[in-house]
Amino acid sequence: MSASAGRVPLPLRSLLVVWLLALGGCAGGQPQSEVVTLVFKYARILGRADPLPALLRSFEAAHPGTRVKGEALPWTSDDQHQFYVINLEGRSPGFDVMMLDCIWVPEFARAGWLTDLTTHLRPDELAPHFPSAVAAATYGGRVWALPWTMNVGLLYYRADLLAKHGLRPPETYEELVDQVRRIRIAERDPALDGYLWQGKQYEGLVVNVLEALWANGARLLAEDGTVFPEPARAADALRFLRGLIETGVSPAWTTAADEELSRRAFGDGHAIFLRNWPYAMELFETADSAVRGKVAVVSLPGRARGERGVGSTGGAHLGVSRRSRHPELAVALARHLASEPAQRAIALGAALSPTRQALYHDSELVRAHPEMPRLHAFALAGRPRPVTPYYLLISSTVQPEFSAALVGVKPPERAITDARARLSYFLGAIR
Amino acid sequence: MLLLAPTVLALAALTVYPGVWVLWLSLQHRIPIFEVSRFAGLDNYAFLAVDPRFLNAGRATAIFTVASVALEVVLGLTAALAIHAQRGGRRLALSFLLLAWAMPAVVTAKLFEWLYHPTAGLINVALGARSLNWLGDPGLALPAVVLADVWRTMPFVAILCYARLLAIPAELYEAAQVDGAGRLATLTRITLPMLGRILLVAVLFRTLDALRAFDIMFVLTGGGPAGMTETLTVYAYRALFQTLQLGFGSAVSVVVFLLVMAVAWAYLKFLRAGTTVAA
Repeated sequence: MSASAGRVPLPLRSLLVVWLLALGGCAGGQPQSEVVTLVFKYARILGRADPLPALLRSFEAAHPGTRVKGEALPWTSDDQHQFYVINLEGRSPGFDVMMLDCIWVPEFARAGWLTDLTTHLRPDELAPHFPSAVAAATYGGRVWALPWTMNVGLLYYRADLLAKHGLRPPETYEELVDQVRRIRIAERDPALDGYLWQGKQYEGLVVNVLEALWANGARLLAEDGTVFPEPARAADALRFLRGLIETGVSPAWTTAADEELSRRAFGDGHAIFLRNWPYAMELFETADSAVRGKVAVVSLPGRARGERGVGSTGGAHLGVSRRSRHPELAVALARHLASEPAQRAIALGAALSPTRQALYHDSELVRAHPEMPRLHAFALAGRPRPVTPYYLLISSTVQPEFSAALVGVKPPERAITDARARLSYFLGAIR
Repeated sequence: MLLLAPTVLALAALTVYPGVWVLWLSLQHRIPIFEVSRFAGLDNYAFLAVDPRFLNAGRATAIFTVASVALEVVLGLTAALAIHAQRGGRRLALSFLLLAWAMPAVVTAKLFEWLYHPTAGLINVALGARSLNWLGDPGLALPAVVLADVWRTMPFVAILCYARLLAIPAELYEAAQVDGAGRLATLTRITLPMLGRILLVAVLFRTLDALRAFDIMFVLTGGGPAGMTETLTVYAYRALFQTLQLGFGSAVSVVVFLLVMAVAWAYLKFLRAGTTVAA
């Protein structure tokens, strides 16, 4: 030992002494002098200005000795999910607070990756949020995430065209179909499409079909775990959607349409109705928009002799990794980001809606987004997708079946039967 | 023998061990995040044998492979002959060819997504009133994906053929000319036979690549519509990485692996047979 130390050159030896002194200094120093770094994983927020850096800085100011690093997630939802799964299953504590698509919360909670927030929260802390958002954050009677941003399916319509033909916004799909026929006959514009929605084989298709199922009194998953508890009504809903395409009420390319494809076509003035999320509203009102001042929103239609229409809800939640080295601080950061001032800042700076209901009547926000009070009613009526740890498994199994029914290669009844058969094998392996 | 040990060990650690592990996983119901782990025997394989979605993925993979490789070989060969025949601008032509090949598959897929755009896409604008629902029609989606793949990988075949063309001695052509062979006779009697081996190699590489194709359909269609463009690898990805069914997903991977091995083996046999005849 001493022999090897004797061989260390002088400059290195002095460096060693300095390092040891520094170590001693740390050990004797105040714990507050150590800087704690929290990592927050989130997808970049699009909008006029990303409000997040300022929110992270204000958290640092309120918690001296804390540094928060915001790290970007991959772009697509699939990649984000895969990123989390690999890192959380691999037990790497590389991040503390994470932005989650609300459909992942029960899955991650079941896998034991999230901190149980129930005891960290005041009993009434989630009361100001939308009940459907709180339901999506709850699994097994415990709270696993904080609702952060809200999404709900809406029906956009061309107010100018409907007014010109003396029509009121449709309350049922049957009315909508009738209005499309009348307006197109009168307008004599072959380029004018009727009703645009999302029929590409992806998660958005499941959302659109769910809304059609609900309007027809059918469900994808019952409380007891039965898949398609009302198969005949579910098949009927699929048949109706297929009919929209067959009769030309919706264009043939609906089967390849995602949110942006349909949003752009409607924004170019080529359609009368559109099903989309609230983010589209702001884009229709930009200075160079072809439909500026001509678009209005209403809740999704129901079916004649059926239930009232409701939009599917979505959005992002904030979870805290169970492997965070600073759980108390991480929970504080999540609460800070989901607080009323933070949600107001996000709603002002980006085209994302808050989960706190009071903000929809906040004077500053209403001035910036006049449609917010109406949006509140739609979001409040919205319904979450099935809250289950197996959501992704169910969704990826039904996607090709729904798509097959929409493009007409499979009768709707067959699509439902096939989806049930596959799910019974996969879910049977879990239970 | 001792000198071989590092190689054997490395191969064992990197190939044999994971391979055996996947085989073992495929015999289980295994979903780690839900603490599911029990022996399933051949359940996963039995399910796959009658699973319409799996059989459909096999069909999509076969059609994609045969169509894209055939088109790539024909077009690649044509491009190589054309470049070889031209006097000037060979370098420029080669650079343009390489441009498509150098692009990442995801970028190519995004590019074609815009080309196939139903209302604003270049292709449909050119077609005018007869515009097609490229990515949303169950009969058109797979051809659309094949086209994008051919555009991207045809240069690979072209470059291989072009390199071989440069190596054919000029005396052969001169001799043919002296013997009075026309252009067609020169092509079928000299050029194509000389290209035979390299074409086989190109087809082998391209086939193995096409059998494992993933990114182009994943980005362009996500496997839709109606699963028409869902290949075996996309299907395996959904099971393994999206829904984390490691046991079931491994069974799919094992079948894909066996399939690729069988094709590679058949090709190699064919190649060797060709060598012995030539020798």
